[in-house]
Amino acid sequence: MIKTKSRLRGLMAAVFATAAIVVPITASPANAATEITFWSWRPEDKVFYEAEAAKFLAATGISVKFTPYVATDYNALLSTALTAGKGPDVMQMRAYGGMANLSDAGYFMPLTSKDIPALAKIPAGTLAGAQGYTSKLQYGLPYATSVLGVMYNPDLLKKAGVKALPTTWSSFFAAMDKVKAAGILPLGNGSGYAPGMEQLWGAVGPTFYGGNDFYKNIVAGKKTFEDKNFVASLQAVKDLVAYFPTGHAGLDYNTARGLFANEKAAFYIGGNYEISYFRSLNPALNVGWMPAPAAAAGTPRYVTNWADGGFAINAKTANKAAAIKFMNFLSSKAFMQDAADSLGWISTISGVKVTDPAVISMVRAIPSSGTPFLTLVGFRYGAPTSSSIMQPGFQKVAAGTQTAAELAAAIQAGVATWYAPLKPKA
Amino acid sequence: MAKSAMKRDQQKFTLLLLLPALLTIIIFTSLPALTTLSYSFFHWTGFQRGSFAGIENFRRLFAFPFRDSLFMAMRHNTLVFIGILIIQTSLGILIAYALYRLKRGQRFFRTVIFLPVIFSLVIVGYMWQAMLDPFYGPINYLLHKVGWDSLALTWLGSTATALPTLVFINLWRWVGFPAIIFLAGLNAINSEYLEAAKIDGASESQIFRKIMFPLLAPSMTIVTVLTFIGAFEWFDLPYVLGGSSGSPAGATDTLALMFYRLSFGSVDSGANEIGIGAALGVLIFTVVGIGAGFGSKYLRSREVQM
Repeated sequence: MIKTKSRLRGLMAAVFATAAIVVPITASPANAATEITFWSWRPEDKVFYEAEAAKFLAATGISVKFTPYVATDYNALLSTALTAGKGPDVMQMRAYGGMANLSDAGYFMPLTSKDIPALAKIPAGTLAGAQGYTSKLQYGLPYATSVLGVMYNPDLLKKAGVKALPTTWSSFFAAMDKVKAAGILPLGNGSGYAPGMEQLWGAVGPTFYGGNDFYKNIVAGKKTFEDKNFVASLQAVKDLVAYFPTGHAGLDYNTARGLFANEKAAFYIGGNYEISYFRSLNPALNVGWMPAPAAAAGTPRYVTNWADGGFAINAKTANKAAAIKFMNFLSSKAFMQDAADSLGWISTISGVKVTDPAVISMVRAIPSSGTPFLTLVGFRYGAPTSSSIMQPGFQKVAAGTQTAAELAAAIQAGVATWYAPLKPKA
Repeated sequence: MAKSAMKRDQQKFTLLLLLPALLTIIIFTSLPALTTLSYSFFHWTGFQRGSFAGIENFRRLFAFPFRDSLFMAMRHNTLVFIGILIIQTSLGILIAYALYRLKRGQRFFRTVIFLPVIFSLVIVGYMWQAMLDPFYGPINYLLHKVGWDSLALTWLGSTATALPTLVFINLWRWVGFPAIIFLAGLNAINSEYLEAAKIDGASESQIFRKIMFPLLAPSMTIVTVLTFIGAFEWFDLPYVLGGSSGSPAGATDTLALMFYRLSFGSVDSGANEIGIGAALGVLIFTVVGIGAGFGSKYLRSREVQM
């Protein structure tokens, strides 16, 4: 018994002695390894971000814990965490109205070019994608531009006998008729995925409503969503439905994209972000890109683009210095080049080279034909957003249970409830 | 004296056993419910709480543009409740009866019937999505193969078929639950009643209708009340298959999906309205609470009459 007690005492003494030596080494703040947390809505980019985090760790000694969540749950999870006073140190933020509510409520740290010098080199229009709605402070670093347009398969067009790329709406339809006659699906798009319908409209709509001029006028309240040109832009989507695959109402997003990626459909109307998915299914796919055809010969063609997503810092982070360091890493040319190469980003930082021929065509077209994504950039700051009415509305238009004019009237009535310039004049 | 001390001890012990459950309910149900109630009486700008709003959020919930979505969602919840109650419950009774009368293999079939209940709902959702895919799904493929082309529909893509399809998937997953409850109810029936009826010359159908079915009333009360609560809080399956907007064109929208959209915004269409979302939460809570309470009371009173 006595022997056991003395052994225990010896053991305790040894433990304390070891702790006395080890604890000061590991717990010393000066030597403690800093770890920052980083949240994203892109689980598919985990390998990429972890490789970048390893580079950041090697350069700074700061480790980054990357935690992605399913995109559809991300807003709810992040807002719940931030409002509870928690959340990650650094995070992906959705553009424009997607998270302006969190920016305006002070959950993101305002950024300046003093802390993040790269901000000074990003165009003002792009910076607007990561600002608050009421405060207009810069809360995020916009990292990529998204572009909408028409992707085509040159091999299938050749097979169908389409010799020249269509430049007008009528020649586009003639080309699709030829493709259909050759037994090939003209368009891979479907109406089952409602946001995809809005993106399709975002690509083809501006040539009908008049691009930038209409955007400025409707934002200023000088035009409404019931304008006949805007209605024509909605009708253009309805006209395209005739070229959708049979059973398009049940076509989900990935199946629709799969039809183009697997060379069953000759055209797919969407964004540059589809290309990496196409290539993941079919690395040998030959993808071409063109701006949406003009409504009529002589009318301008537009390339819809917007700052799609940013990086932000938690206003309550305990690792402010490390988070800023990481933001500067994320805004570096080296990181952006890696993202362009691996994820197909059109970087907001100048000097980043694009290698994909289709993406090169997009980047070249933006300066002369660029126009904002009207519903995303302008009208996602209040409920109901124009998108929340437009997306299910397009499904009704595609099914023939609502007309383009009725949809336009519904958007106007809904947005006018919160957007003062569009409220009916007394 | 000793007896009353023992009783007090028993009461204390009972309270002690109830305490963990009680605390869980208070922390995870009562407090969030009260918080939601308080949120519904304030103005909100995004996530910023503003001034006291009185009943303004409730008024806006019942006014344009939220009114139409609210009534549509409420209609869907009601249809789901009726659909599940009629089809799922009837099928549950029939399965329970078949299991009850089964001489061999009851345990095996009981497990098979109940198995989908324990499957992850997300997996069930994606499995049915793949099965019903109009292009690559085996169901439409088979329908085409046997020449029933007109039945090869876009099940989840059409506004006419999406909600009934979700009810069917729900049925596939959940039918084992009422079946097990009814089976327990049947097993609890005193076999002497059934034997007496048989001796009196009652047919199998008469025994089922006149003896078994009325004696299943307590099980029916449980199933009906739980179905009502589940139908008016229906979120998971429509969310997995139709997203937060209740695609296609809001055909699968429910009160819980609308609450989610209003409270958190939507990934693809932005902006939230916490105050109106909270008002809707209060409305759902009230509808479910009152409906389940009165329904339970009414059904129990009928049990007594029987």
